[in-house]
Amino acid sequence: MEQENEIRLEQIGVVTLFEIKGDVTAASEPFLKEGYKNATDRGTEKILLKFEEKAYINSGGIALLIQLLAETKKNNQQIGITGLSDHFKKIFTMVGITKFARIYDTRDEALEGMSEES
Amino acid sequence: MTGRLDERTVEISLPNKIGYERIAMESSASFARIVGFASERIEDLKTAVAEACLNAMEHGNRGRPDARVILTMDFKDDTLTVFVKDEGDGISRLPDHTAIGQKIENLKAPEGLGTYLIKQLMDHVEFNEMTKEGHAVKMVMKLK
Repeated sequence: MEQENEIRLEQIGVVTLFEIKGDVTAASEPFLKEGYKNATDRGTEKILLKFEEKAYINSGGIALLIQLLAETKKNNQQIGITGLSDHFKKIFTMVGITKFARIYDTRDEALEGMSEES
Repeated sequence: MTGRLDERTVEISLPNKIGYERIAMESSASFARIVGFASERIEDLKTAVAEACLNAMEHGNRGRPDARVILTMDFKDDTLTVFVKDEGDGISRLPDHTAIGQKIENLKAPEGLGTYLIKQLMDHVEFNEMTKEGHAVKMVMKLK
């Protein structure tokens, strides 16, 4: 089953917003990597990952996000997450992603919070 | 393992194809909804069923396109029991869940994240249920 993601990058103040359309699985790797490379090439220090609330995220997708978190840590970038359903907020907390990335309830709350943090 | 199908049992045969686990997710969600589970628990079930199917497709059936994954669900005594069966030999070494936590702590993508999620989300799990047709994972969720 072919899976296509669309990741749209938008610069909002100091934050680069990753608008992730579609499910997040192992098949998302090229899309996430390309988006991250583009953002890093333009020197971003703050990344907000916005998922679709109905998105299906499986262990393959979670493993990719952990790899992305490792990259952002290495490059001294701050990362935030928004758009998750309550279920995936629970899953992300369960697997420990929240130790490295803050989850915000809304896009606006995330942009405000991340813009204020140094 | 369910011996025969009765009026409280649903069985679905899936092709061994990544992506088709979504059929198992939606089927298990429909079944759980019919028997009265709350939406939060249904989301837990969907994730556990998806991960069990992915393990069956990738590891149990080793990606073989001619293999099948069988999902069997029954509800008795306020208990939903789900079997996900593949044609493999079982899991020779179950992932160490403490090691998974440590890997994530060090931001290294862990192996066995699927089985970790299954164990966290279901009330009871048994891996390596061997039958004459192959291997099954048994997952139980109680209606509380």
